[in-house]
Amino acid sequence: MSQVTATLEPSLIRTLSGIVGERAVITDPERLLVYESDGLTQYRYPPSAVVLPASVGELQRVIRTLHEADRPFVARGAGTGLSGGALAVDGAVVVTTTRMNRILEVDVENRRARAEPGAINAHLTTAAAPFGLYYAPDPSSQSACTLGGNVAENSGGPHCLKYGVTTRYVTGLTVVLPDGELLRLGGMGQETPGLDLVGLFVGSEGCFGVVAEIEVQLLPRPEGVRTLLALFDSLEEAATAVSRIIETGLLPAALEIMDQATIQAVEDSVFAAGIPRDAAAALVVEFDGIEVTLDAEMAAAREICQDSGAREVRTAAQAEEREALWKGRKKAFGAMGRIAPDLMVQDATVPRSRLPQVLARIGEIGRRYDLLVANVFHAGDGNLHPNLLFDRNDPDELRRVEEASREIMEVCIEAGGTITGEHGVGLDKRKYLPLVLSHSVLEAMGQVKAAFDPDGRCNPGKVLPDEYLISTKDPR
Amino acid sequence: MSGGPSRLPEGALASALSQQTERLSHCVHCGFCLPACPTYTRLGDEADSPRGRLHLMGAVVEGRLDPASEAFQLHMDRCLGCRACESVCPSGVEYGFLLERAREVAVSARQPSLVQRLLLGLIQRPALFLPWMWMSRLLRWSRIPALLGRGEAGAGRPGPLRLGAAMLAASAPPSLRVASFTGTRVQDREGEASGEPRGEVALLTGCVQDQLFRRVNQASRRVLAANGWTVVEVAGQGCCGALHAHGGRLSQAREMARRNLAAFQSAKPRYIVNNAAGCGAMMREYHELLGEDARELSHRVVDISSLLAGEGRRPRVGDPLAMTVTYDAPCHLLHAQAVSGVGEALLASIPELELRPLQRAEECCGGAGIYGITHPELGGEIGMDKARAVIASGADVLATGNPGCMMQIGAHLRLLGSEIQVVHPIELLDESYRSAGLYES
Ligand SMILES: Cc1cc2nc3c(=O)[nH]c(=O)nc-3n(C[C@H](O)[C@H](O)[C@H](O)COP(=O)(O)OP(=O)(O)OC[C@H]3O[C@@H](n4cnc5c(N)ncnc54)[C@H](O)[C@@H]3O)c2cc1C
Ligand code: SF4
Ligand code: SF4
Repeated sequence: MSQVTATLEPSLIRTLSGIVGERAVITDPERLLVYESDGLTQYRYPPSAVVLPASVGELQRVIRTLHEADRPFVARGAGTGLSGGALAVDGAVVVTTTRMNRILEVDVENRRARAEPGAINAHLTTAAAPFGLYYAPDPSSQSACTLGGNVAENSGGPHCLKYGVTTRYVTGLTVVLPDGELLRLGGMGQETPGLDLVGLFVGSEGCFGVVAEIEVQLLPRPEGVRTLLALFDSLEEAATAVSRIIETGLLPAALEIMDQATIQAVEDSVFAAGIPRDAAAALVVEFDGIEVTLDAEMAAAREICQDSGAREVRTAAQAEEREALWKGRKKAFGAMGRIAPDLMVQDATVPRSRLPQVLARIGEIGRRYDLLVANVFHAGDGNLHPNLLFDRNDPDELRRVEEASREIMEVCIEAGGTITGEHGVGLDKRKYLPLVLSHSVLEAMGQVKAAFDPDGRCNPGKVLPDEYLISTKDPR
Repeated sequence: MSGGPSRLPEGALASALSQQTERLSHCVHCGFCLPACPTYTRLGDEADSPRGRLHLMGAVVEGRLDPASEAFQLHMDRCLGCRACESVCPSGVEYGFLLERAREVAVSARQPSLVQRLLLGLIQRPALFLPWMWMSRLLRWSRIPALLGRGEAGAGRPGPLRLGAAMLAASAPPSLRVASFTGTRVQDREGEASGEPRGEVALLTGCVQDQLFRRVNQASRRVLAANGWTVVEVAGQGCCGALHAHGGRLSQAREMARRNLAAFQSAKPRYIVNNAAGCGAMMREYHELLGEDARELSHRVVDISSLLAGEGRRPRVGDPLAMTVTYDAPCHLLHAQAVSGVGEALLASIPELELRPLQRAEECCGGAGIYGITHPELGGEIGMDKARAVIASGADVLATGNPGCMMQIGAHLRLLGSEIQVVHPIELLDESYRSAGLYES
């Protein structure tokens, strides 16, 4: 794994320019600097080139050309990934989908939609809204991230507690394999005959090929929505409320927690939602569905919050209030730039019943390493996002961040959790994978990867540790 | 370091930017700004996105990138400066401020294009600017630009001559046809704004505004007076310096800002009213150029729509104007001044005026100061998209509160063969007052 940028041969540049146009091939190393990182800024891997195809046909010909030239490549959407998944390890060529950003069809009768991979998640819901439909997976980054990136990462979001993550909604994919072959997988039917390759592709972190077109299922807008905001004087109390809500059998659409540092960052931003700054934790509980059940569910949740020690429980009466709350919640990660220049976001999942203890231990780790930790997370899924805030120019702080991260990870694994909830393994979590997966599982993954990408050219250096990557070609 | 005159020797490359590490560090690379950026959404290259440009600025500061490099020059230059990225940034990155410093670094490393130097040079020198404007008005009066600048839907990209002609023609007074004047005169409702005296205000008359859009200044004076404001004339004021600041000529901009500071400080009006959003944004940020001395003045600068219709205020009511209007918020009001809804509120106060929604009204029109002229290709594409959205709104009139936007949108409407008239919102209110006889005395 190296950071060198091997420059492209002039003949290869000419061929690629012939396919996508001169302006859509970028090879000037200085112009390529902006592609060295994604949403995670710890790593810098500048690519050898960026190619921007504008159609499936162009995409396919680009990948075939790279195959013939024996060049590694990596797909990139909006670059909001938080595990370094879209970075160009080994001087890979970045194939960006931003020019393939159209919503192709909203099929109202069948509640389906087709889109290009660079289409932005939120734009799909905007396109479906006039028909009373929406696209359920709602990563907090949905106003910017692409559907192709969502498919690759099998992204979740606040409302995936009730509705499930991306894989539940993807019904068909057109993919370009690393050798340039175009495959249509699934489509229209609920069940596809044969082996479920669509399911296999979703969550493959860009390691099997490039998604060229996506067909998803849309849902009708629920009849009613109710949102509650409970404020607590301790983070553990809020977590306790979450466990109890789940225990009683209620099924909220979303259960999200923000701690005090996060609340303050959000309230300082253009997305201020009116959450009191002195609250130690804010819990957002949302129910949706048919009107008649909602009030009873809300009453039950309110009581549980109060019993768990909430100092105040508010209801967002108007749609605007609810919207403001969600905007604040979803932009929280971005707002943290107000507190510190750099942040490292963790993405561990623990059993919900263990949330209070795990949060207490994370707090303790932060204090021990003298680091500010801001928590904002999908509590209902037990999906934690502790954000470690630091300044990369302070080497000692950087070291403490590294050590604290590892300890947090260990605490989560010890509690029966795992190392990623939704951001993927990418580059960042690769070293931790053997902590949670057995040798034989990793071997099996290596074999599946080799079936799609025998030359090991597709998204090199990601997910699987080197020793599990089987390449039919020369060993690395 | 928070603004203030740079004390580093002239020519110390990257100095202006290197003092900004703090400001740059606020960007966490979340990418929320990407879809808001008109250059990124059209070109797809992250180097043409706000996050990418900030990354390049960072690379210059870190010493990894030469400010004379093609990468830095190209991508800094290609930014519209529309500041839509600021409105969506959760981390509060002060992009506009950083861009001006980055451009200062860029232009001191390499000379900008001839067109840009020429335009900025002209605006700065009254001895050249005034005759140029005088000739422009003469040409406009000749109706040649109107003929030359008219196109039809589906026509290709115009050459510089046709574009220039269309822009000049677009600055001409509109011919407003009020569809069906109902004749009912609306009395001032109780508690609403009336002509009661409120205090003294001054109007920034501007450079292009004063030369090509003097009618907007005159309408502004009348409307302000009708709403009870005494408009004092401030001698010694001049161009606000925005175009120079956006182009990275911070020392020239500072000079212009200083002159205005002195002029307005001695007049001491309660508010300094702007009817050009770009100038308003600039003046509200004078303290960033001139330091704390200018802060008090900056805080007294207000856009005319804001003064009349902001924060729940309602302007005095005139006669009905039965027409369909769509409103495009100037970026330097919506994004740079973070003022929203006031243009719409002002128009909504005119009886019988029907306000039509405009798709993607929050997006730049591609005029962006002199961008429409210096980048005819990309600026033209953005301008065409805006003109098509205006046509799709079905309105007969487009209102927007900035001379550059009026000319850019007006030009592209003409080039598409559309008859839609382009006005400043204050011109409509003025028309409604005139018709109501508010000016008769
Ligand atoms: C503020 C913020 C909040 C976030 N919140 C959430 C959240 O709530 N839930 C969540 O799950 N994630 C979240 N994320 C992470 C991230 O937004 C998601 O992983 C998203 O799906 C990435 O999409 P992207 O277009 O940015 O992909 P990129 O970052 O460009 O790429 C991500 C991966 O997908 C691959 N890829 C991209 N396009 C294709 C394609 N067409 N074919 C094959 N592979 C492809 C890349 O190779 C890479 O491995 C958040 C990120 C940020 C910055
Ligand atoms: S939204 Fe703000 S913090 Fe996020 S990438 Fe853009 S400029 Fe940086
Ligand atoms: S100012 Fe406008 S064009 Fe420039 S980066 Fe921001 S959004 Fe893009």
